[in-house]
Amino acid sequence: MNAISRRQFIKRAAALTAASYVGMKLPFFLADAQGQDADTWTRGTCRLCGVGCRLELGLRNGKPVALRGVSDSRTNLGYLCMKGMLFHKIMEHPDRLTKPLYREKKSDDFREISWEEALDIAAQKFVDVKTEYGSDACAYYGSGQAQTEETYFFQKVMRAGLQTNNVEGNPRLCMASAVGGYLTSFGADEPIGGYSDIEQCYYFFIIGSNMAEAHPVIWRRVMRRKLDNPDTVKVVNADPRISATSRIADLHLQFDPGTDLALLNAMAHVIIEEDLVDHDFLRDYCVFKKGGDTIDFDQFAKDVAEYTPEKAAEICGGSMNPDDIRKTARWFANSKGTMSMWCMGINQRKRGVWANNLIHNLHLLTGQLCKPGADSFSLTGQPNACGGVREGGGLCHILPGHRPVAKDPLRKDVERLWGVPEGRIPPKPGYHTMAMFSAVNDRKIRAIWINCTSPAQSLPNLTPYRDGMAQDEVFVVVTDVFATKTTEVANLVLPTAFHFEKTGVYGCTERRSQITPKAKDAPGEAMPEVWMIREWARRMGEKLNDPVFAKVIEPFEGLEPDFDLPKAIWDEYTQKLTKGRDNDLRGATYDVLLQMPDGVQWPAPTEKFALTGGAVKKFVRGKDPLVEEHGEGDAPYVFYGPAHADKKLYVWFRPHALPGEVPDDEYPMYLSTGRIIDHWHTTSMTGRIPELLRANPYSFVEINPKDAERMGIKPNDMIEITTRRGKVTMPARVMEGPLEGTVFAYWHDMAESRMINKVVNDVFDPGSQEPEFKIGACRIRPVSGPRDLDPVVTQL
Amino acid sequence: MPIGGFVITVAPEEIDTVEAELSGRDACEVHGTDDKGNIVAVLDTETSDAMDDIVHELEQDARILSVGLAYLHAEDEVEKIIRGELTPDLRKRRRNESS
Repeated sequence: MNAISRRQFIKRAAALTAASYVGMKLPFFLADAQGQDADTWTRGTCRLCGVGCRLELGLRNGKPVALRGVSDSRTNLGYLCMKGMLFHKIMEHPDRLTKPLYREKKSDDFREISWEEALDIAAQKFVDVKTEYGSDACAYYGSGQAQTEETYFFQKVMRAGLQTNNVEGNPRLCMASAVGGYLTSFGADEPIGGYSDIEQCYYFFIIGSNMAEAHPVIWRRVMRRKLDNPDTVKVVNADPRISATSRIADLHLQFDPGTDLALLNAMAHVIIEEDLVDHDFLRDYCVFKKGGDTIDFDQFAKDVAEYTPEKAAEICGGSMNPDDIRKTARWFANSKGTMSMWCMGINQRKRGVWANNLIHNLHLLTGQLCKPGADSFSLTGQPNACGGVREGGGLCHILPGHRPVAKDPLRKDVERLWGVPEGRIPPKPGYHTMAMFSAVNDRKIRAIWINCTSPAQSLPNLTPYRDGMAQDEVFVVVTDVFATKTTEVANLVLPTAFHFEKTGVYGCTERRSQITPKAKDAPGEAMPEVWMIREWARRMGEKLNDPVFAKVIEPFEGLEPDFDLPKAIWDEYTQKLTKGRDNDLRGATYDVLLQMPDGVQWPAPTEKFALTGGAVKKFVRGKDPLVEEHGEGDAPYVFYGPAHADKKLYVWFRPHALPGEVPDDEYPMYLSTGRIIDHWHTTSMTGRIPELLRANPYSFVEINPKDAERMGIKPNDMIEITTRRGKVTMPARVMEGPLEGTVFAYWHDMAESRMINKVVNDVFDPGSQEPEFKIGACRIRPVSGPRDLDPVVTQL
Repeated sequence: MPIGGFVITVAPEEIDTVEAELSGRDACEVHGTDDKGNIVAVLDTETSDAMDDIVHELEQDARILSVGLAYLHAEDEVEKIIRGELTPDLRKRRRNESS
């Protein structure tokens, strides 16, 4: 056999891996050649979106050199996307934060300090603030990218140590409306089904999501299902904007932003009028609600009667026609299995909870739920919004295990489980995110720890909140891997270990918890957050002479931070706090998780069940082990969610309502914003540009060709976008994406002149407190032809 | 000089033309196709940015439904980063693009 070069070996490995996913045989093979491409492979979860792709990181001589998918993972089936390129670039990047940094005033330069000094400062500042201004002057703002152990431990210290429920996280900005929708419709957070429904689905109703760019690996499964069954599987993409997701759609419904509530009600109207209703399902499992009242089917039918397809088409504008609405509704009802999928287009809305309810309504009216291929499936944006923040107690109103903090028995439960005195956790929720940063502005919050997120770029109507964080009266600690717009307003910056440089669990979109073990050391003095939290908490307890802090960290003292410490945190969370809850994760021990190619879907109360992968469907007898505990008789479904004592699903009447801000004479266009596949959020990771020798990435604004022609705008012209909140300028991309009368701007750019969140509306949903990033009013004008754009560099 | 193994999926009727175009690119080797629209291809580029650019370009092509990464190797680039010869531009480059 001829020897092949190492490079040739690697190319063959790449080809064979890809070919194996589609069952393609190639005319070569690789003899056992250990170490040619990597010495070790460590299996973990991707860092970068809510899909939960499983991958293996290949190290050679301790350095990251390769990535490959895990083909027997039930999330990605082995596939990855190009965001995976980031791993080797981020891990070894020279801009990584490697030492603690401090400055007394925000106008000073940072100086490097020791960990001892840093932890002491962090502890002293929070203690001083608590002593002088009270517990609620302290706050924690975390992230759907923090590991569950980190979120759980931070919130334990905040609530039981510092005695504040000012615990929030950036999922408030993206998923809170989905949470609100699930709780009010189903009585329980998170999808009933999961990805496995995709391969059994016959109708995909995709609304308010550009899945092809935001969740490409799950998109691939939808695409494959459609391609393999072109005539029997239907896809409808409902979005004001035509995107890559429309490429496989049988129908694209395009409508003015914010008018989808009318569309969804019209679909319900058709389903009722044409008697496509599953009366048995409604009778057995559902009640109808309107405001604070319980109504009946007839009343509900009367209430949606005004939403004829004709009326909805008029409200929706765009190219909407009533026959398409009828077709969509009929497909929805009649298919052998219907999945709705949605993301920020539905959630980041003033009436985001209502929009979620209206989607759920369609599933309830038609019985398209619980059976294979049928689900009302919210796509989660971040890799651990579900596992850490929604399940682990990372929002101001919920304790771990889906326990509302305001419910006395549940709060006392948690105090007892933590071994802290009754009354230790405050009885009222803390500030939600927008209120938290308003409180920072008003100096009601004087010490805030911001972990793994950059609110100084990601908040809507950014400018006042950034100015608030920049005040010297507010002590700001930031933990991150790189400098960001938020480290610019920090006093103390602590360097964190990145993914695969520490051990922890992420819970993805489909209730699946998956572990990523440490594979390599973090650079410099960067440390895992769980270590920092413990050290910080101990010092605060000593300074306050408060033994409860010691109690809070007692199970975690003396444990090495790379594995034993996070494991002990995970054990406490799962074995104590999820026991008996709907997200029972007791079976998903580290031992079990490390064995799984993927992970475990809760509920999974036993290791035996967890080893099968856990609950593919909640609430379904035979698939959900908790049904037997909660179930009466032998009904096939039991909806035991913690928020609905009656164990019923609620069909909510929600009227059409306008967005917070719509076009008028002064601001005649809709402004919408969103993500782009190859940038992740604020680009603190994906946008590192320390020196520029070539053209730089930047934001741009999509403009419909008709609008462009009318305004004399050519591709790449610089466009000034003005709203009531300010103006930004960015280049134009003229394309058949947005509807006429709407512009769509990408939000990832760190350049001040192009930072679209400065002009985005911060009105929020009254139920979920999630801001309406997706819809605002603006005017645009060309200010110049194409320009070379300034580099964007965020340095310390 | 990263190497990436991909499954590129196109609508089945487009497979021959897309395969021919991919094969014509210097950085791309096509290793096989099937009748479901799958093309197994390996990209071998100077830099990961160059690979990003190619993938991005492919994703903009309306005939291409999905570009699925299966395997990525980038040791040469990691060594350059460690030696200080390359500072990763983590943001994908977006040159002035028209519709």
